Amino acid sequence: MSSHPSRRDLLRLVGAAAAVPVLSSCAGAPATQSAAPGTFTVYWNAGHDYAAYRKVIAEFEQANKVTVNLQKYQWPDLRTRLLADFASGTVPDLVEEPGGWVQEFAVSGNARSLQDYVDRDGQAMGFPSDWQPVTVERNSYQGKVYGVQLHLTCNTLLYNKAMLRDAGVEAPTTWEELLDAAKKLTKDGVYGIALNQDYTYMWPWLVQAGITPYDLDTKAIMEPRADAVAALQFQADLIHQHKVAPVPVSSTDYSGPQKLFSAKRAAMILTGPWDLEPIRKTSADIELGVAPPLKNKTAATQAAGVSMFVPAKAARPDLSWDFIKRITALEVEQAATKETGMLMPRKSWVDLPEVQSDPVTKVFAEALPTAKDSSQQVRLTGQLGKWEEQLKVMYQQVLIQNQPAAEALDAFVKAAEGFLR
Amino acid sequence: MRSRTLYGRYARTAYLFLLPAILFFAAFFYLPIGNVVATSFRTGPMADQWAGLGNYTQALADPAVRHSFLVTVGFSAMVVAGSIVIGLALALAIDQPLRGRVVFRVLLLVPYLTSVAIVGLLWRNILDPELGVLNRALGAIGLPEQQWLNTAPLLTIAAVTLWQSVGYTMVLFLAGLQGIPETYHEAARIDGADAWHRFWRITLPLLAPTTLFVSVMAVISGLQAFGQAYIITNGGPGDATDLSVFHIFNVAFRTRDFGYSSAQSVLLLMVIVAFTVVQLRAGRRGEVTY
Repeated sequence: MSSHPSRRDLLRLVGAAAAVPVLSSCAGAPATQSAAPGTFTVYWNAGHDYAAYRKVIAEFEQANKVTVNLQKYQWPDLRTRLLADFASGTVPDLVEEPGGWVQEFAVSGNARSLQDYVDRDGQAMGFPSDWQPVTVERNSYQGKVYGVQLHLTCNTLLYNKAMLRDAGVEAPTTWEELLDAAKKLTKDGVYGIALNQDYTYMWPWLVQAGITPYDLDTKAIMEPRADAVAALQFQADLIHQHKVAPVPVSSTDYSGPQKLFSAKRAAMILTGPWDLEPIRKTSADIELGVAPPLKNKTAATQAAGVSMFVPAKAARPDLSWDFIKRITALEVEQAATKETGMLMPRKSWVDLPEVQSDPVTKVFAEALPTAKDSSQQVRLTGQLGKWEEQLKVMYQQVLIQNQPAAEALDAFVKAAEGFLR
Repeated sequence: MRSRTLYGRYARTAYLFLLPAILFFAAFFYLPIGNVVATSFRTGPMADQWAGLGNYTQALADPAVRHSFLVTVGFSAMVVAGSIVIGLALALAIDQPLRGRVVFRVLLLVPYLTSVAIVGLLWRNILDPELGVLNRALGAIGLPEQQWLNTAPLLTIAAVTLWQSVGYTMVLFLAGLQGIPETYHEAARIDGADAWHRFWRITLPLLAPTTLFVSVMAVISGLQAFGQAYIITNGGPGDATDLSVFHIFNVAFRTRDFGYSSAQSVLLLMVIVAFTVVQLRAGRRGEVTY
């Protein structure tokens, strides 16, 4: 008998070898991430990897004898990953979300109700009594809590104090004052103000104009309509008529105005606490001023911020809840604010010395009670995704392409009436 | 009888060699395609309710789908025309006995080897009207600043696509040019044909198979383009660069309608197949033999 394999044997060997990786990739598909023993998977925003949270994670790992797999994403990528996970049944143990997803996924059955944990531990951790009411409402569905707010933020006016001083203008408090200041500040390659291409940045203007985005009872969209048109047109006019702001560029990046402000190419921007750290890091010499929300019909701004929720198919919700409790403790909020200037949802956070003694954080904190949730009613219809897609198109048509606001808003309302029916 | 056995053995051997590829394509292409087709008949956030042909009729009547398709056709037309004209021009230029032409070839091919995400971010930063390098350079030499991402966004992303892909089409045309026997040109020269006539009467007709291949590949990649809209413009401004695959992606992952997005994917697949068949038939009809 020959010791050499025959041609047929070789072919069998090659065929079998080739089949192994293909078949093993199917058979060896990992068990659900949440079920992987010893690993606790968390989907987190890439910008929120704070040292204060790392400390909590280390304590959590030690207490529960697990390793936390903190997977960091930008929001759109996190959503893509999460929806693929929901489809495959392979879900993480905990998810941070940018606002709005908790109710969306509660409606679709992908988020787990946390009400049983709240009933058990709520009083001890101060939930919901110590949380700003808007943060509990936006994370509840049909009377049950599905998520817990991690940060509560809002937009207001950031300005370069030296530029305003040199131009002889005070920090504006109304739209008219803003336009006047922007005109005086626009010179020598510097814009008075820079607006954001991202549609979420239009909400402070709309809530200041007294607009209700959507009324679930009457089905009215963007009313009073004339005021909504005026608010949108005012923003477009800053760019195209008064030329006190650059034309923004459409992209997935919403840091354009912050970069212009940091480069001292814009004297004012409308933004939230997430831009404080990059400004301070890249342009420490800028004398940063923060003004309360502008006033039109009312002085108001948009409530924003992130929450956490547990996917319905997560295998260890007890651990997930323990993580939530630890990371929302007041001392953790205190440390995170001290580290980054981020705003927090606890009522008792407002009274902390880190908040009251910091002139920037204090202005943001004082603006929080005027912050309104712009998509609450739409989220409950389950059509938030379509709503946001149409808003993005409409806002950029007005802001970038200079389409008359009345025309663009009419087209938006017509489209929204179709899918909100 | 013996030849049939031999044939059977050869066939078995051939299939055994093909088996890994068949398994790979089945697992990672055909099964997912089958899954997409099945999903296209369902609806709901979890695509778990039967919809019949509802998603297809909705897609055919949806103005947003129609708009994104027209945007994609416009984008593809620019990419196809650019790929052929610029790719051929570069190939003709580089086919000359120039010094350093190997370096030139490599430089033209490097963008093709770079990921679309990197190319997108690179050009997004170069073209930014306020903070980009290009406007600084234009300003430094006294030229007016550009706002192309706002004023001509579709043309801009088509140009970026061409910048990335034209090196590849150049290589294809170069291979085609080098496959044309020199004797044809010599004979034409003896007959008194000038360079222009030789190009129109000999080079271009004999490059027809290459041109057909380039145009088919450019149409397919143009209709399937995604990264350019996702990375550079996010589909904007407004919906000016809402390419079909980007639109389908948003329907799936932003508005969370997997059934509807699957139906649009199937329709797009049908369009791509139809375009390809028409191109191949038209191209073969025009083939020239000497």
